Amino acid sequence: MMEPLTSLIPVSWQSAFSTQLQMSELTAIVLTLGSFQLGLWFYQKSKRFILLHPVIIGGICIAAFLNYYSISYDHYKESSRLFYFLLGPATVALAIPLFQEFHHIRKLSKTVLITVIAGGTAAVVSAIGIAYILGADDTILRSLAAKSVTTPIALGISEKIGGLATLTTGVVVFTGIFGAIMSPLVFRLSGLADPRLQGIVLGINAHGIGTALAFERNASSGAFASLAMGLTGTFTALTVPYAISLLSYL
Amino acid sequence: MIKGFLTLLIFQWLGELITLATGAPIPGPVFGMLLLLLALLIRQKASQSLQESSHTLIQYLSLLFLPAGVGIFFLSDAIQAQWLAIAGAMILGTFISMYFSAVLAKKLLGEQ
Repeated sequence: MMEPLTSLIPVSWQSAFSTQLQMSELTAIVLTLGSFQLGLWFYQKSKRFILLHPVIIGGICIAAFLNYYSISYDHYKESSRLFYFLLGPATVALAIPLFQEFHHIRKLSKTVLITVIAGGTAAVVSAIGIAYILGADDTILRSLAAKSVTTPIALGISEKIGGLATLTTGVVVFTGIFGAIMSPLVFRLSGLADPRLQGIVLGINAHGIGTALAFERNASSGAFASLAMGLTGTFTALTVPYAISLLSYL
Repeated sequence: MIKGFLTLLIFQWLGELITLATGAPIPGPVFGMLLLLLALLIRQKASQSLQESSHTLIQYLSLLFLPAGVGIFFLSDAIQAQWLAIAGAMILGTFISMYFSAVLAKKLLGEQ
């Protein structure tokens, strides 16, 4: 009923096929896992080339599939909520790396805490400020606020402050990718050579993607990145919702 | 693994309870994470099961937000029209805050 190939298949199979496509959670889960696996394969084959991140390739595959079979995104989102549900416990799980790297705070407490607070604030202010100057509307500004924070926390913040969860997810992923790509240039321009401090900067501004990059370079850099990522997420979640409601009053 | 996963869900449940009870605009799982961190700092160790289940979830974090991320291809025209502001915030904004954090971190370590 859709394409020449399917016209060779008996009608009962065709209708079963389209029913399965339209109705089933199983289809959504197979599609998501399959696309992610394909993305992972490309990512590993390309020696972890950042622009071929599994989320980008996987996302393109899913979007193409939905378009081809005219399945609405809302329908897919509804059928794949299992993944969405797991983001909750995944956020809680961030406490474990935070706990394991917590002792690093003692060595560099002042540097870590001040950089996280000032850097985390700068990430929010610079994003909202630039978007505001370039004429973004209220919804977009709200969706951008948590852009540098790890995705599960950013999604939670975005929902609380009235942003669009889908826009926030995309923006967070690309922020992590751009942050990782720009990091060598930033470290050269600022003359920042200490791997621990490089980790902190990556964790604050490029969340999980930056942290993965830091771990690839140096274990101690990765530990600091993971610590900074957890602290930035916590700091942003505890402050941004209040800052936004304060701004709405003015 | 199951025990660890159950621990995560119970802490999320407690976190959601705090959000509901206080009406705070803070996601429940964030409170759950802070409670779990507090518990771990008091106990001074994380069980094998908890480490395994959290490692698994964090390792596949990008799979978990993939369905939400696909939404970027299905944004309304009104939002797509503002791509310049979105891209500016992502690229220029990230560069500025990264450079700022790097300079600040360097300066602070020099003083310490």
